[in-house]
Order: sequence, then C-alpha cells, then structure tokens
Amino acid sequence: MSQIGLLVVVVGTMIFLALQAGDNLQARAIPTGFDFVGDSVGIQLSEGIDTKPATGGRALWVGMVNTLRISVAGIVVATMLGVVIGLARLSSNWIVSKIASVYIETMRNIPLLVQIIFIFAVIQTLNGLDEDTGPISGWFVVSNKGISIPRLFGLNGSFQWFAFMIIGLVVAWWVHRRRVQEQDATGAVTYPVLSAVGVLAVFGIIGFFVHPVMGFLGPVFGAMANLLGSISESLLQLLLALAALLLAARRIRNFLKSMSSGGGRAKLVDDDYFRMVFAGVGALAAVLVVFAWPGLSSWLLNSGQDLFELLESRFGSGNGGRPFDAKKPDLNITRFVNYGPAGLTLSPSFAAVFIGVVLYTAAFIGENVRGGILAVPKGQSEAAGAIGLSRGQSLRHIILPQAFRIIMPPMGNQYLNLAKNTSLAIAVGYSDLVQVGTTVYNQTGKTLPVVAIWMLFYLSVSLTISVIVNYINVRLKIVER
Amino acid sequence: MVFTTDSTFAESVPAPAAPPKTIKLPPREWIKQNLFSTPFNSVLTVLFGALIFAAWRGLLSFTFSHERSWDAVATNLRLMFTAAYPQEQFIRIWVCIGFILGLAAITVGAYAVASRVRVHFLAERTMVFGGVIGVSGLLAPFSTSATVWYIVIGFGLLLPGIAARTQIDEEATLPLMGLLGIAFALPVLSLWVIPYGHHALLDGELIAEPGTVARSSSGPWTVVLIISYALYLLVAKVMNPSAQARLKRAVVGIWLVSPLFLVFIILRDPAFDYDHIASVQVPLFLAYAILGGALLYWLTKPGVGEIGRIVAATVLLAAIGTFLFSAFGFGGMRQIVRILALALAAFALLAPTFSGEQAARRRYVRVWVITVLGLVWFVTAANSPSTVATLSDWFPGGFSVTLMVATFTLILSFPLGVVLALARTSKMPIFRVMSTFYIEIVRGVPFITVLVFFAIMVPLFLPSNMEISQIAAVVVAYSLFSAAYMAENVRGGLQSIQAGQHEAAEALGMTGTQKTVFIVLPQALRASIPPLVGQTIGTFKETSLLAIIGVFDFLFVARTLIPTQTFFLGSLKEGLLVVCLTYWFFTYNMSKASQRLEQRLGVGER
Amino acid sequence: MTETAGNPVRDLSQAADMIMCDGVSKWFGDFQALDGITATIKEQEVVVVLGPSGSGKSTWIRCINKLEHHQEGQIVVDGVELTNDLRNIEMIRSEVGMVFQQFNLFPHLTVMDNITLAPIWVRKKPRSDAEDMARALLERVGIPEQAEKFPGQMSGGQQQRVAIARALAMEPKVMLFDEPTSALDPEMIKEVLDVMKELARSGMTMMVVTHEMGFAREVADRIIFMEEGQIVEVGTPEHFFTNPTEDRTKLFLSQIL
Repeated sequence: MSQIGLLVVVVGTMIFLALQAGDNLQARAIPTGFDFVGDSVGIQLSEGIDTKPATGGRALWVGMVNTLRISVAGIVVATMLGVVIGLARLSSNWIVSKIASVYIETMRNIPLLVQIIFIFAVIQTLNGLDEDTGPISGWFVVSNKGISIPRLFGLNGSFQWFAFMIIGLVVAWWVHRRRVQEQDATGAVTYPVLSAVGVLAVFGIIGFFVHPVMGFLGPVFGAMANLLGSISESLLQLLLALAALLLAARRIRNFLKSMSSGGGRAKLVDDDYFRMVFAGVGALAAVLVVFAWPGLSSWLLNSGQDLFELLESRFGSGNGGRPFDAKKPDLNITRFVNYGPAGLTLSPSFAAVFIGVVLYTAAFIGENVRGGILAVPKGQSEAAGAIGLSRGQSLRHIILPQAFRIIMPPMGNQYLNLAKNTSLAIAVGYSDLVQVGTTVYNQTGKTLPVVAIWMLFYLSVSLTISVIVNYINVRLKIVER
Repeated sequence: MVFTTDSTFAESVPAPAAPPKTIKLPPREWIKQNLFSTPFNSVLTVLFGALIFAAWRGLLSFTFSHERSWDAVATNLRLMFTAAYPQEQFIRIWVCIGFILGLAAITVGAYAVASRVRVHFLAERTMVFGGVIGVSGLLAPFSTSATVWYIVIGFGLLLPGIAARTQIDEEATLPLMGLLGIAFALPVLSLWVIPYGHHALLDGELIAEPGTVARSSSGPWTVVLIISYALYLLVAKVMNPSAQARLKRAVVGIWLVSPLFLVFIILRDPAFDYDHIASVQVPLFLAYAILGGALLYWLTKPGVGEIGRIVAATVLLAAIGTFLFSAFGFGGMRQIVRILALALAAFALLAPTFSGEQAARRRYVRVWVITVLGLVWFVTAANSPSTVATLSDWFPGGFSVTLMVATFTLILSFPLGVVLALARTSKMPIFRVMSTFYIEIVRGVPFITVLVFFAIMVPLFLPSNMEISQIAAVVVAYSLFSAAYMAENVRGGLQSIQAGQHEAAEALGMTGTQKTVFIVLPQALRASIPPLVGQTIGTFKETSLLAIIGVFDFLFVARTLIPTQTFFLGSLKEGLLVVCLTYWFFTYNMSKASQRLEQRLGVGER
Repeated sequence: MTETAGNPVRDLSQAADMIMCDGVSKWFGDFQALDGITATIKEQEVVVVLGPSGSGKSTWIRCINKLEHHQEGQIVVDGVELTNDLRNIEMIRSEVGMVFQQFNLFPHLTVMDNITLAPIWVRKKPRSDAEDMARALLERVGIPEQAEKFPGQMSGGQQQRVAIARALAMEPKVMLFDEPTSALDPEMIKEVLDVMKELARSGMTMMVVTHEMGFAREVADRIIFMEEGQIVEVGTPEHFFTNPTEDRTKLFLSQIL
C-alpha cells in the first residue's frame, strides 16, 4: 500500500515539475525539440572528423567521436602507465617505490581540472612547432601547437585487410585449440599461443601484400543493403513489437511455471510479482513507442541500409590497395591535418586533456594494481612454492590470475571515471561532446535537448564499459572455478 | 614477501595497516639492501636517482626562474582566498577562523586524541628537511650568497637532527599538542618580526607597501592561537571526565550547526527585521512548536496504533500539498510553512518508532521543538538581506566559496545518501527501482553535465513564485550528485552487516524502522566512514569545476582574473601552482587523517 | 518445581499447549527443509531437538519465531496463529525469546544497552525499570559486573549469557535456543549450560536445538529426533537414550555416543 502511495506521490511530483518546466519554458520562450539536429548551424570546431559541421546533429556527432577517441586512447595508455606504477610501488628498490608513491600522492590529491589547466598553460608557453626543438627532432616534437608524432594510418584497403584478419583470427583460434588438445593428449610441448600468433602473422602479411583479398564481399554487402531496402517500415514495426511482446511473455511464463509447485512457490519472492508486472508494462511501452514513432523503424532501416552500402563501396573495385601507410609529422603546417595521410599532431587542448586524464587515472590504477597483488594471501605463493612451482610459474598460474580478478572491478570503475573526466575538456577548448554541446545550445538555445543527448551518450558509454568489465569478470570466475 | 618476478619487485611489502616498525639496520647495510641488492637494482637506483635530481632541479628552476612573477600571487592572495569580501569587515572572517580553531581544540581535548610523538621521528624529519633545503640550495638558480644561506640553514637543521637521532633514547616522546602549539606559534611570532606580504591590490591600483599582510594579521592570529590553546588546556587538563563526556556530545552537534551559523550569521551579518520577526516568525514557531508538539506527544503514546498511522499519513499529504498548491494559485504561502510541514510529517511518521513512556515522549517533543527553532532561525537568517556589501550576489568568493560549497554539499548530501541507500536495499521493489535508477544515472554521467543542467535549468522547474540563487542551485547540484556516490558507500556499509544482527533485532520484536534506526544504521555508518571520507575528498576536488560555470572560486581568480590584471599580464602558472598546492595540502591531509581513522576504527571495539 | 524438575517425573498432561505445529513444510528453492512437521509443546515443558546437521532442526525453530516463513501447514504460538500479518509477527516475537548460535549481540552497544533496548522501545518500559531488570538478569546469569562493557570485550561464554539475559528481558513465554553452545570453546560451554538448566528449573517453556547429550538427558522433558526435515522419533530422555525404536535413531546414537 505504502509503495503505491509513494509511487503516486513521486509520479505526481514529476508531472507537476514537468508541467511547471513546460510553463516556464513557454513563458521564457525557450525552445525545445530536437529539430536543431537537422538544422544547419554555423559552428567552427577546433578539431575532429569534420571541423565545419553542416548541422547541429553532425556537430554533436563530431564531439562524440572526439570524446570516444580521447577516452579509448586514454584508457589504453593509462592502463599501461598505471600497471607500471603499481608494480613500481611494490618494488624492493627504495627509490623506485618512493618515486611511485610520491607520484600517486601528488596526482590523486590535485583536482584533475587544475592539472589539465596547468598542463595547458605549460604547453602554450613552449617553443613553436617550426622550431623543431625535439625531444626527438623531426619525429617527436613537443611545441606550443601540441605534440607531433609519426602516425600509422589506414588506407582504403584497410577494410579488406581487417576482414581478412577476422578470418585469420578464427583460424588462429582453431589452431590454438588443436594444439592445446594435442598437448593435453600427448604431453608434448606444442606452443599453442606461439602457433596462433604465427598464424595471425601469416594472415597479416598475406593481407598486406596480396590485393584485393576480400573483394568478393562487396556484392554480398550490396545484396544485404538491397534486402534491407525492400523491407517495409510497417513490417519492421510489427517484428519489433512482436519481439518485445514475446520476450515479456517468455519471462512472465517462466515465473508462472515455477508457481505450480510448493518448492517453486518458495523461490518466488514479492519482487518476482513486481518483475512480472514490470516486464509486461515494459513490453507494452515498447510496442507503444514503436508504433507511435514510425520514424524510429524507418531510421533503423535506413541506417542499416546506409551501413551496408558504405561497406559495399569500401569493398568494391578500386579499394583493394595497400591497407596501411605511415608518415612523419609535418612540422610547418598552420592547421592540423589529423585525418588523411599525414603525421599526427595532438592539438594543445587534446594533449592537455589527454596527458591530464592519463596521469591522473594512472595513479588510481596503480593503487588498484598494488592493492590487488597485495590482496592475494601470502599462503598462496608459499603453497605454490611447496608444490614445486618456480617463481615465474607461481606468478603466472597462481598469483596473477587471483590478483587480476581482484583488480578488474575497480579497474572498470577507473575506466568509467576516465571516460567521464574527458568532459573537463571544456575548460581548455577541446571539442569533445560537452564542449560542442555548449556551443550548440549557445547558438540554438536548445539547452534541454542537448543535455538529454549528453546524458544518453555518457550513459551508453558507462553501460558499455560496465558490460565489458562484467563480462570479463564472469569469464575470469568461470575460468578459475 | 608476497610475489617476486625478479628480485626487484615486492621484496619487502609493508603490511598496509601495521605501524612502520622498521628493523634497525646500520645505514650502510640499509642502503645495500634497499638500493644495491642486485646489479639490476643498482642500475635502477642510479637511473631513478638521476631522474629525481633532474625533476627536482627542473621544479626549482621553474619556481625560482626570473620569468616567474610571484608578486602576482602575493598581491592577489586576498583575492584568491576571500575574493571581494570588504576589508573593513575582515573581523568577521577572523571570528570564524577563531571559532573553528577553538572548536577543533575543544574537540581534540574532549576526545583525548592528542598522542605523543617519538623524538626519533621528529629528528628524522628534521634531518630530511635540512638535507632537502641544503641540496635545493645547490640545485636552484640562486645567487651565490643565497646558495650559501640555504646550505647553512640546511646544515643548521641537519646537525641537530643527527644529534637528536643518535643521542636521545629511542623511546623518548614529546606531547603532540605542545609541538603543534609551538609549530603554530613560531610563524605567528614571525609575523611580528618579519614584514611579510608586500602588496595589496585595491581598486586596480598596486600599492607597494611592505608588511601589509603581516601587520594586519599578526594581532588576530595571536589572539586566535592563545584562545585555542587555552581552550585545549582547559578541556584536556582542567575538566573532570564526566564534564568531558558531556562536552563530547555537545561538540558533535556544534560542528554540525556551526557552518550554518558562521555563514549566515557571522559572515553574512543579516539585517533582521525584528518587527517582521515578531509578527510572523515568532507566531509561526510557536504554532508549530505547540500544536506540532502536542500532536507528536499524542502520536508517541504506546498503542495509538492504526489511527496514528493514518494521522501521520494525512500530515504527509498535507505537507506535500503545501508544495503543490502553489501551482494552483495559492502561492502566497511562506516557504518556512512548507518546510516545517514536511519536517512535522517526518517526525509524525517516525513517532511509532520512538513511542514509549512519559520521559521518552517528552524527549521526542523536545527534539521537535529544537528542530523547529533551528529551521525557523536558519530560514529567517538565510532570507534576510546581508549588510555586507560585495560585488557579486554571493558574498564569499575565492577559496572560501570552495570550502563553503564543499561543507554544504557534505551536510546536504549525507542524509540524502543514507535515504537513497536505505531505499536501494529496501525490500520494496518500487523504492528499490527508483533509487537504483537515480543512483546509476547520476553515476553514469559526468558531473559537468549535471552542473550545467542545474545552473541553467533549475529555475525552469520551480514554480514561478519560487526563486533560487545560482549558488544555491549549484550546491543543490553538488549535493544531488554527491548523494548518489554517498549512497553507494553507505550501501556497502549496510551490506557488511551480518544477517545475525537483523535476526537478533527481529527476534526481539523490533519493527522494521526500529531495527534500522537502532541496530543497522549505527553499525553501517561506522563501517562506511572511510569511504565516506574518500567521497568527501572527491567532492572537495570536484569544487574546482565551479570555475567552469563562472563562479568566483580561486581557480577562476588564478586562471582568469590575475593574468588580465595590468601589472601581471599573463602570469598564469604562478597562480595555478598555488591552487595546486592548496588543494594538495587539504586533500593530502584529509586522506592521511582518514587512513588514521580507519586504523583506529579497525582496532576499536568490534 | 523440585530439584529434579526437567526429568520425566514431571506430569505436564494437564498443562496448556504453548506451541502447536501441524503439517509444517518449508522449501529453500527446490530443497525441502521441513516435511510435514507435527508436534505440540506444553507450557513449562523443556524439549530438546536432536538430529544430524542439515536435518531441519534450526529451520523449524526459526519458523516458530517467523525468522523463516513456512509455506504449508500451521503454527500456533500461545493461541495465536502465525500469519504473514506484520503486527501479528511482531507480537509473537516479543512473546518468544531466541538465543542464537553466534550470540548476535549488537557490537555498537554496551551490554546494558543490548539488554534494555528492546524493553524500552518495544515493550515501552521506563528506562529506569528496564535498567533495574537488566541488572537483576545479569546477576542471574552470573555477570553483574560487566554491564558497561562492549560485547567485543567479553569472552564467548559471557556473550552468550548476555544474549540469554537480553532475550529474558522481554519476559518471553517461550525461549528458543538454536545451538547455543556450538560456537563456544569447550571450557565455556558449562557456564552457559548452567544458566540454561537454572532457567529450565524455574519453569520456562524451552525448545533447545543442541548437540549436548548430557544436557538433553538431564534437563529435557521430551526429546524430538529429526532427520531430513521429518520428525523420526519422540520420547522421554530415558526412552530415547536407552531404548530407541527407530533404526535411524539407533544409527545416529551409535555415531555420536
């Protein structure tokens, strides 16, 4: 009873607030609605896949790509640095472990925003790019234009190469399994990991020199695009609705089935009735959404079709050349050419945010790594020694698997924090989603929709990271038990 | 030894909680074992030793370079820490500082947390400090005479340190509070002798007058220090134990209320309209105190039963109604009426939990009257116009706004976090789903989006007759954000409580609320103190984001204001370095304190 | 009551029913923990429940206090049937005292607060009365000087005696003991058993799950033997230890004696 009362109160308050907001929005003539996504805006972005986006939606898309770019790069580098720091913290060498702990205490205790602004201030007072003042002249130049390094970039042929490598992965996996089986059966040392890597290398080399290797995929993707094009919008609506209803029905049926016996009834808690109701209501809501916005279905169809058409063109004729190339940074450019065939220059704001989040997060990751390794009971390494394992073996088979399991969940948290912290880019003008969003709503006045897009984007990033980390956790547990 | 890849790693891992009980080794042996045990280790030592010297030298050259204009910071210190608080009202700030330090001294005295420090520990610190100063003198780009001075001072510290380390008995200790007193007294004394602080920037004009800072602060600091130390001595040495015990309870309450009191009475100096108070606030207080008190006295009678619950629910509905009515034109109602109605509803709902015999019921009513008094006083003080004239709409700025936002966020988000955590672990799915939904959404988005949302959007969600200042909206944003994280910490504490505790409470016939209030929450909160302190540190660091939305905090001053002043055009890094150091000083000490607290709790009664 | 109370000489056939279980069944998921338990416990009777571990003894005793919910059957305590109604549960619980294997004292409260908390807030007693009673109870369980200590500062035997005092402070009509000595060091078992014996002699209705055969033989009016969620055999201690009828009982006794 009290629950229903509370629900009424909360829903009532929310409706009230929404009405209030609607009134106020109208009274102050603040526009809402997502039409700005398609309208043209005059925005100039400092960097990204498109520095002069035609529409608001395109601008936000550029921002999202920038956020993802810096997050992924940051996660990779911060993990490497963090692991090194964590191990250094455990070193028996007094100087090494002291340096690591001073590093950690400094980084953790200064707000990231202050660090980013400070790094940005330092970068801005460095020498000019054309003075080429090193650290490695011509190859690795730190200047007031940012950080310039050589870059490996994909050409048109890279799509075919990646497709080929997927086949290579499957083959390598198969070889690995066969080798492991052989080793288990005969006891002979068969080097399963080495063989798999070898297979991958062979595939990589073949894919690099033989063109076009996967050209036949082009027509296949074309056919897929045509197939999607032929599906009518209402058919997809029907299919989606059916899928939602079926899922809910299956869930409810599972609960109902367990109600038939006394033992089954014991398993049901109050929550399960709530879950049943929730599944039903959720499915109905999904159906409602699917039919209320036919645009959703047609958008799904269109983007699917677009994707396959794009793939068709990528695998089509004339796109089978060399997959990769690399270039040194161009030291006398005035604007950054970060895309296309050229060296890589990380703009000052990118460099500031990147260095900031990497150094900051690495300190936390280092603490996680140290904590995880310390948390493995001492008895484990003693037991491993007692059954005659060497130090390396005990580390690989006993200590690290357990430490890894302890380290992984907080690691996921740190990755999440890193992704969220890139939003501080707004302070130094790196065009991430938040910064672009601010520009967009300053121009169009559509604050609410932009904030909604922000939240949706970051929530899906968070969700993705936690799904990946959870998956790894579950895998680790199964492997271990 | 936990694990070893090669001999480099993890040779001697200190157990995290254990006190650093170093085994006595002669210096030569120690160096050999810890730095040059293997060839690889020796290489590492040389390599990283060189790295340390390079970094140290770099930092010193950066700090003492001729390009640095530290005048920019020295002149603007006042701006960075109090922004535009008028100088003639500084006595108010001194009263606040004195109050807080005095209260801290009383707390230390009452809780008898003051321990003793080993002389050897002090000697080692002095030696290290002396060594650092001496080497810095060699490394930094000083003039020759300055270098000599540095080296002399370094040796001046190093030698007594070595003497104390070798001559004095290992078990000898000194009282911590005495040392702290001296440590505070020395810089304060130096204020009387050395004219620190050469500048004051007033109305954009640089007045190069030496000693302004020292002259204006030597008197107040001395008074504050003497009062604080006297209070400590009074409480720790003079008072008898029973008075100390009573003081302990009072101190906690004073700490909770003092931020409101200091900000809204001392710093803000509200211009109370006494006629208005007599005609509106006093009757309001009396009405709520007497009628509400009578209602609660009745509700706490044992055996009121079902009808009591219905009455309490009615009060809750009426309280929510007072908020909703404003949408339908009944907007003239005072805010305090609504707030008090909500408070009354909460007390009424909790009444069955605390029902009992006469004395218990009277105590419950007394708590209610005090709550009403506090709320009425606070709302009145907050709503009265301030007599302190400042440039911005919110009187503190600089570092003080940072401290203030952090404090208020802590006060507001803690109860909210506890409620969210209870809801998330509740048996009722609706509570749980809503709370989980809220917590996960807030934790999934970056704080800057929440901040922007609140700074711009909150006014839109309020009824047309309610207004909220920007800083209040910001504090609300911080609190709502921080509460989600607090809730997760408290949830961890809740889950750490064994099932047996719940069962024992249930077996004694306690209601769900009684179980939560008397058994579960006290234990859960104690278990979650360390992560809660961590979260508080996080919030404190997060206050730097105020600068992004244009609040006059000290990062904003350092980054945006100072480099645009005519005298200090482009002096950016100096201010930022001071900001870094200030944040570092506070967070580092907070986290060290929390580690110590964790150890104390770990070995405490459990 | 005479000194020999608790031995089969006591005639309880005229006493009123205190606990009545009729066909009580309980499942944990697919596992059936209780299978049609039917038994009656009279006022002032001392019943000891024996059985191998996992036989459902603890589950049954916890069902009587509503710490577990039974799915089938009927439990009546002092004339009140246990339903899922919240107030009914709270009423029953304050009439039925429970002592746990792991003591479950509240670690954040002193011994005095542990004992007086429920009388003050559940029974609504004045604090001074509750404290007087707590002192009397601590005297009775033999640790009057420990009132201001915290549970963490006491030995296991002392903690368990405080737990008994805490349950008695609610002035219950029945006391349930769930393996009260299993978590104790051997030298502390006696001090707890002595308190329980004294309690039995004073006429308290008691239901005890234990592995202490000496206690069962000396104090019990009846012994109930359970296995796999069912009651296998019921009888006086004399009958049970010297002349059991069921094979499963004999097997159990041969394993432990």
